[in-house]
Amino acid sequence: MVSSRRIIYLDNAATTFPKPREVLEEMVEVYSNLGVSPGRGSYDLSMEAEERVMDIRRQVCQFFGGRDPERVIFSYNATDALNTLIQGLIRPDFRVVSSRLDHNSVLRPLHYFSRQGVIRLDLMPFGSEGLIDPMGASEAIRPDTSFVILTHASNVLGTVQPVERIGEICRERGIPLLLDVTQTAGRLPIRMEEWGVSAVAFTGHKSLLGPTGIGGLVLSPGLDVEATRFGGTGRDSLSLDHTQVYPQRLEPGTINVAGIFGLSAGLRYISSRGMENIYSKELGLARRLHNGLNSIKGVRVYPATLHDPWVPITLCNVDGMDPEDLSSILDGDFGIAARAGLHCAPLVHEDLGTSPKGGVRFSLGPFNTDEDIDQVLEAMARISRSR
Amino acid sequence: MERTTQTSPARQELGERVRQIVGREITFDGEGFFWDPHQWSEEAAKALAEEAGLKDLGEAHWTILRFLREYYFQNGRSPLNRQIKEGTGISLMEMEALFPGGIKYGARRLAGLPNPRNCI
Repeated sequence: MVSSRRIIYLDNAATTFPKPREVLEEMVEVYSNLGVSPGRGSYDLSMEAEERVMDIRRQVCQFFGGRDPERVIFSYNATDALNTLIQGLIRPDFRVVSSRLDHNSVLRPLHYFSRQGVIRLDLMPFGSEGLIDPMGASEAIRPDTSFVILTHASNVLGTVQPVERIGEICRERGIPLLLDVTQTAGRLPIRMEEWGVSAVAFTGHKSLLGPTGIGGLVLSPGLDVEATRFGGTGRDSLSLDHTQVYPQRLEPGTINVAGIFGLSAGLRYISSRGMENIYSKELGLARRLHNGLNSIKGVRVYPATLHDPWVPITLCNVDGMDPEDLSSILDGDFGIAARAGLHCAPLVHEDLGTSPKGGVRFSLGPFNTDEDIDQVLEAMARISRSR
Repeated sequence: MERTTQTSPARQELGERVRQIVGREITFDGEGFFWDPHQWSEEAAKALAEEAGLKDLGEAHWTILRFLREYYFQNGRSPLNRQIKEGTGISLMEMEALFPGGIKYGARRLAGLPNPRNCI
């Protein structure tokens, strides 16, 4: 069933919707002409597809401030990329640092290895304003820490973490810093080499404005990740040993060619509109929303104050109302799509005191308007008054 | 009276338990939702409403509960938010206020339908 009613879509932290028409059109156009298995055959079309994919690796590498396009690895999403990264780095007796702000895509793989007794896991706390204190990070990152893996921005609070400072600490101590840039890629500049970041994990379908099913890793030349999945790569097929050569080392099986073309189109769309312009428009609306919600009696906003930089996410609750019910009312009565619950980041809610039911998250995208914010504020005021 | 059951690990993980409600054994999940919508009866709904602090189910309550059940059995799934509003003529905001526990833990649970387990 396809719904034709207009909704105010505010779940862009889950996936941006709608996608720019230009992105979808370009993806279909390129896939219609080059949708073959890239680099797997000696026929021209396969070689052309491989060349195009390599161009996109260069585009992605440049976008994230990486150094080597052959170390751009495509995956299905950020969770897939993070699992490839974490499982390919973990060794017995490793000590790993992450944070209580992180998403389950980081916490669950780490928790699994911690529970198995393979690693020791140290989770950095965050303050009442949703930020990790660099001084606290300096204490948590010990001489025997094997790597640090951290979200760049909280998917619950939108708070952007001081990764440049944490990167300096890691660089001084020779410890790799791995960054989950799911919520920041396409909004804030990411300079992995400049910041001393050894790897970034990204997804294509959020603020990079591509389709679902595409994400990836960009690895710094100093970081080696073991393959944990094996198969056909189009290289060294005579050998039963999986190739050690990047990017195929971490890309067994046919890659998501249509998704890669869509990702490239998303990056080009962002570049043509200007990332700063898109971000600044989203942020302006998000500020209005945050301040407006803060002024409604009976609405609690987390955190109450904003810090720059920030990604356009606002978490809130209405006193005495189940967040799932609040989300249902917003949807059914007002046509507003917002995400209720724990947002796959249970420790954030535990520390905010919003567990186990969580809150309602409004997350903005490039196509939201001033009218959307007016309507949300009016709806929230009416709902709050009804209590 | 309440007892746990010896069923599959998946159902145990969801906290399955059996209770006696108005003389009948009914299986619930850990959040108090009916496991089998066919075990529901108006008497069971009244008893569960009273447990939740709602002494009398009025006309508006029954309109909602009957709509939720009829839609479920006709379509094989629970109605969407906007379909509830269209089908009952009652806004979700009013519905939330009508049931102790609100929409999900009040209305949907008392209607005896399976737990709408969204990813939270």
